[in-house]
Amino acid sequence: MLPIPDTSPIDMAPLKSDLSMPYTLTPGRAAGAFLAELGQRRIVGSRFKKSGKVVVPAQDFCPLSGDSEFELVEAPATGTLTAYTETAAGLIVLIRIDGSDVDFAHRLIDASLDELSIGARVEAVWAEGIENSILAIAGFRLAPDAPVGSIRPLQDPVPALEVIPYRLDLHYEHAFGPYYGRLFDEIKTQRRIMGVRTPDGEGALLPPREICDVTHRPTGTWVEVKQTGTVRAMSIINLEFVGQKQAPPYIYAEIMLDGALTRLIHTVAGFDMNRAKELVKPGTRVRAVWRDTQTGSLDDISHFELIDADTK
Amino acid sequence: MGRHVGIVGVGQTHHSRRRTDVSQAGLVREAVDRALVDAKLTIEDIDSVVVASGPVLFAAVNQPEKWVVDAIGAALKPLVRVTSGGGTGLAGALAGYYQVAGGFADRVLVVAYDKLSEGALQYSISTLYDPFWGREFAVGIMGFSAAYWRARMDVLGHTEEAAAMVAVKNRHNAMNNPYAHVKKEVTVEEVLNSKPLAWPIKLLDVPPISDGAAAVVLSTEKLAAQSTDRPAWIHGMGYFCEADNAAARSLLVSEPLAIAARRVYRSAGITNPRRQFDVVEVQEPYTCFELSYYESLGLCAPGEAAELIRSGATSLNGDIPVNPSGGCAGANPIGAAGLIRLIEAASQVMGKAAGNQIPNARLALAQSGGGWANLRGVAVLGA
Repeated sequence: MLPIPDTSPIDMAPLKSDLSMPYTLTPGRAAGAFLAELGQRRIVGSRFKKSGKVVVPAQDFCPLSGDSEFELVEAPATGTLTAYTETAAGLIVLIRIDGSDVDFAHRLIDASLDELSIGARVEAVWAEGIENSILAIAGFRLAPDAPVGSIRPLQDPVPALEVIPYRLDLHYEHAFGPYYGRLFDEIKTQRRIMGVRTPDGEGALLPPREICDVTHRPTGTWVEVKQTGTVRAMSIINLEFVGQKQAPPYIYAEIMLDGALTRLIHTVAGFDMNRAKELVKPGTRVRAVWRDTQTGSLDDISHFELIDADTK
Repeated sequence: MGRHVGIVGVGQTHHSRRRTDVSQAGLVREAVDRALVDAKLTIEDIDSVVVASGPVLFAAVNQPEKWVVDAIGAALKPLVRVTSGGGTGLAGALAGYYQVAGGFADRVLVVAYDKLSEGALQYSISTLYDPFWGREFAVGIMGFSAAYWRARMDVLGHTEEAAAMVAVKNRHNAMNNPYAHVKKEVTVEEVLNSKPLAWPIKLLDVPPISDGAAAVVLSTEKLAAQSTDRPAWIHGMGYFCEADNAAARSLLVSEPLAIAARRVYRSAGITNPRRQFDVVEVQEPYTCFELSYYESLGLCAPGEAAELIRSGATSLNGDIPVNPSGGCAGANPIGAAGLIRLIEAASQVMGKAAGNQIPNARLALAQSGGGWANLRGVAVLGA
């Protein structure tokens, strides 16, 4: 069979997909103490028993030996510059706090790139109104005359933080490509659901794709599948969770549209949900119900309705 | 064929709903320390390390293996991370197994973990769906899993009552597992009457959400005796996949699991799994999956799983005990769950199961899987 003649990229803007995930991170003993002590305007490190190495900011495990036994120590707010670069976010530098055996990254403020040199003396500048974050240190500034500080035992430690609220906001732009491009363009402009024939021409693969998953041969020509189909599998969603797109209860359904060999995931609705178990089963016949909106996504189908069911 | 590989040390954390006293790295350290003590080794004796953890969206740390290096003490050793959704733990063990069998390393440490209390679980899992094609309807994999259980009910007779018996059995077994954190017996009626989450899946069909880690030391035959006189020998291990949305995909019997099982059975000399295995550990993210696995693993014929659980054959005193540890019903740190199944199976043939030791267990089967039911694997272990 010839490759599909009528498949070329359709000028569709990428699909924007935004994820916004909440977290409650656990920093562990050392980092939890470090973050808590920043609120006291103290910089805390860990001194490992076996190696005697000092790690600032404090860590649970010695990066040199893997040792897990340590005592918390108070580090000075002074150190030296060990590396630097300029970025859109300003000067990013590596700093070795006096007495520490490792470096850490932070900002350098109130200076320009040409003033910096490896080995320059720096001191921490505390931020107003920020307590338990690495940004409680607004940055480091050049301090040529800062005396070399020393590591001291940590006196009267405050309770370590155990939980840190956090959020990841992720913004993606997924390219449609020629197959999804045509599929969703047809959904948007023609209200047609298009698949491609399998290499042997028996039925359609949906969503359309370039290569058949089973035979690994190029797929065939485009074909419109019916807007009616059969429920293959279903569940009734009562669970509520962060990021959910619709309010329960609703039906999760995997539907084989007539003419298609693969599943479409959607919802079946239009009846009293108390009768869902009885009305929607594997084998139940359904039909697509379109929305008035035309977005070019599966959301242009509002839901699937029951065909010939007594929903009274 | 490669070299013989034995499991010579195992360790796991006492799993819990939420550990606020340790970071992800600290959790990893606990399991590593326990496995090394069990193997009478230190990290200096380890040639290579495999870190296995679930999707990064579970806990917001990308490429966590670079973070846990210090916690393992793995600096300057070969180290890779392996991830495969729910099957991560077994996939990690497989990566370690290949290294020893192939002669790259004499001893490999495999550590698997997830700290699920930190993120939004169902939301994270929902991102395994195609963003164009169905993600808006994703309920983790719970909606999907429930939907195909509903389909199996009609074709294979996997009733709600049969699945409830799985919950009763596994929760009973978890009572004796010192590492499990869900310890509450339930009745069939309680399971059937529990809150529907994604019907037919109900609250008591669902495992807990857990923080936990697990680790094993894999060794050559030559070095095994330094750790134990009773290793668990790996007679075969495999992990197979099927296409995501292919025309031929039935989802009634797990084809990749059936293929993995047949392939590994052949290399391990298993011709009658029901009769030959002394004990089985399966990773049952929901009770319905355990029924399905009975069939794919050949413990019974398709359509006979409900009768198998009803007969009591898979109970502790049955002829083919499944999940004497309690399975995922006792604890479910997803990325570690597959390795925990392997550890529980290994502990049985090593004669040192922490909870319900099956007397004279000589041959054990462990199963694990990930993806949306399209990645499945097994391991066969012998005394």
